[in-house]
Amino acid sequence: MNATVLLEGLVRRFGKTTAVDGIDLELSHGELFGLVGPDGAGKTTTVRMLAGLIAPDGGRVRVLGEDPLTSASVRDVLGLMPQEYSLYLDLSIRENLQFFGRLYGLGRAEWARRVERLMRITRLEPFMDRRAGALSGGMYKKLALSCALLHEPKVLLLDEPTNGVDPVSRRELWDLIHEFVQGGMTVLVCTPYMDEAERCHRVGLLHRGRLIATGEPAALIRDIEHETYTVHAGAGAELFDEVFAFEDVLAASPAGSELRIVVRGGRASEVQRRLDALGGRLEACEPTFEDLFLVRIKDAEGMAA
Amino acid sequence: MKIWGRIYALAFKEVLQIRRDPRTLVLALVMPVLLLLLFGYGVSFDIDAIPMSVVDQDRTSSSRRLLRRFFASGELRPSGTLSDPDEAYARFRTGQDLGAVVIPAGFQARLRERRPAPIQILVDAADGVTAEQTLGKAESSLKAGAVVRRSRPPVEVRTYTMFNPELRSALFLVPGLAAYVVALVSVLLTALTVAREWELGSMQQLFATPIRRGEIVIGKLLPYLALGLVAVALVIGSGALFFGVPMRGAPGILMLNSFLFVLGMLGQGLLISVLTKNQMVATQAAAMTSLLPSLLLSGFMFPIENMPKILQMITVIIPARYFIDTLRAVLLRGTPASHLWGDTVALAAFALAMIVLSTARFQRRIA
Repeated sequence: MNATVLLEGLVRRFGKTTAVDGIDLELSHGELFGLVGPDGAGKTTTVRMLAGLIAPDGGRVRVLGEDPLTSASVRDVLGLMPQEYSLYLDLSIRENLQFFGRLYGLGRAEWARRVERLMRITRLEPFMDRRAGALSGGMYKKLALSCALLHEPKVLLLDEPTNGVDPVSRRELWDLIHEFVQGGMTVLVCTPYMDEAERCHRVGLLHRGRLIATGEPAALIRDIEHETYTVHAGAGAELFDEVFAFEDVLAASPAGSELRIVVRGGRASEVQRRLDALGGRLEACEPTFEDLFLVRIKDAEGMAA
Repeated sequence: MKIWGRIYALAFKEVLQIRRDPRTLVLALVMPVLLLLLFGYGVSFDIDAIPMSVVDQDRTSSSRRLLRRFFASGELRPSGTLSDPDEAYARFRTGQDLGAVVIPAGFQARLRERRPAPIQILVDAADGVTAEQTLGKAESSLKAGAVVRRSRPPVEVRTYTMFNPELRSALFLVPGLAAYVVALVSVLLTALTVAREWELGSMQQLFATPIRRGEIVIGKLLPYLALGLVAVALVIGSGALFFGVPMRGAPGILMLNSFLFVLGMLGQGLLISVLTKNQMVATQAAAMTSLLPSLLLSGFMFPIENMPKILQMITVIIPARYFIDTLRAVLLRGTPASHLWGDTVALAAFALAMIVLSTARFQRRIA
């Protein structure tokens, strides 16, 4: 079967910087794919190329077999929720929904049915006549998602949909996304949040315009060839600074009063030996997605160096 | 039809935004009338009752008769009788008078001897326009006065001014002002609207939907076209109301050419907006490209026939030129519509060119 979304050797430069540096990716029908990476990794540029808003400098993009840059029919089945404010802030929720409903040629009854459902799930119903500019961050994002979902696209592109959204609204947004994925929608979501990445069927780790790892979140974590530990400091936190500099410590991140570290596979005893001298103690723990991400970035940078 | 549905969606949204933003309505409907009144009253070239002092050193029946005739029309007003021309200078400096008429002693005696009898007109020429009018009126009054005195049958020049017998500058100015004001406002309206979508980020959302570029252009034009036409009606109506500008010709051709002129100006704004993508730059470009040509190269301020050849050639692509021609023809001359198709064709060509160019230059790309 053909890939619903296909990226092949995709490259995009802005002046001297290469925002997207050779991405290959295939999404199949009904897949929820998470594009994870820090700010500036190239997530937004990738999404914009998928939506046909930016021309690639190299490689090709196909959405349902067509080039979104030139094909008008792709736009009928594509939904986009940009990261920035992109709705009409001087129009109310109802007017924004009306505008997009008409653009996609929805009949009055069909529009009313879909809006009723979306507003019920997002609990925006009481605010239908409030201007988009007067909504809270979370409410605005729910409206933007509703506008992108209104025409029930086959492919939905979400660029950091929960950025600046409170935890409750975040969960609601994700419930909404899951509901449509179960209905057969293919979704690509960009996020800097690791916990959101774990909600996806598959994730791609994006770093400096390159996909440095792709796969199911659990499998990716399982496949880490390194070990994760918590460092308990005996005397004080000063020893953390030293741990950072250990050759076998690939990544370290403070977690409360402790330090999470990723140790190169099979080198734990060596690290423990050095810690003994400092009065610290290692305790094995389960690797998380964040550990994975830090390790893969370290790998990628090691290869580049 | 899906196309019309999308155009309707965009046009409807624009109407909502116009209604919600009073600045647009003020710009479109209040500004033109305000500008018309401001210019109409301010840029009037008419000066009535020009104050002139009188220095009659002859004090004879001839000199008194001359003065009576000199001031007979009312355009010149005797502001005071002085004994010395030097006093007249003093009154110029304080701005009391704009001119003085000096009749030297011996005026009547010279006339009786059939010798040339000179008199002197002094004019304050610090303000050139006023000075020229003062001089012109003084000369024509003198001619009228002198004609009576000539014993031989004089060559009499009779001037009859058609369509605007009193040469009121309002009648002449209002059509030009109407074109100028409508041009400025129309270009500004659309120049802002597309640039705003770029600045607010809604353009990328719009580009991700099935709407086509041409549909965006038409959907944006329609509401502003209606607004622009209302502005034209308001300006012509105010011209009639405040300055007594008549409507002597066929309103049909005026409406058609107004429609095409507004369309062309909106198209020009759209093109600017598409090219600049920035409200600030668009505003400046819009003001420059609409204001200057429609003021200077349209025949409004300076007659096209008097321009250097090269400028005359440039005026061919200035739509305000054709609209002013139509306005003057229909409002003042009562020219039949059949003589104005040339303007119609020129305006239609400009409008078409602007819309095609805006659509072609409309990049469906955000970077």
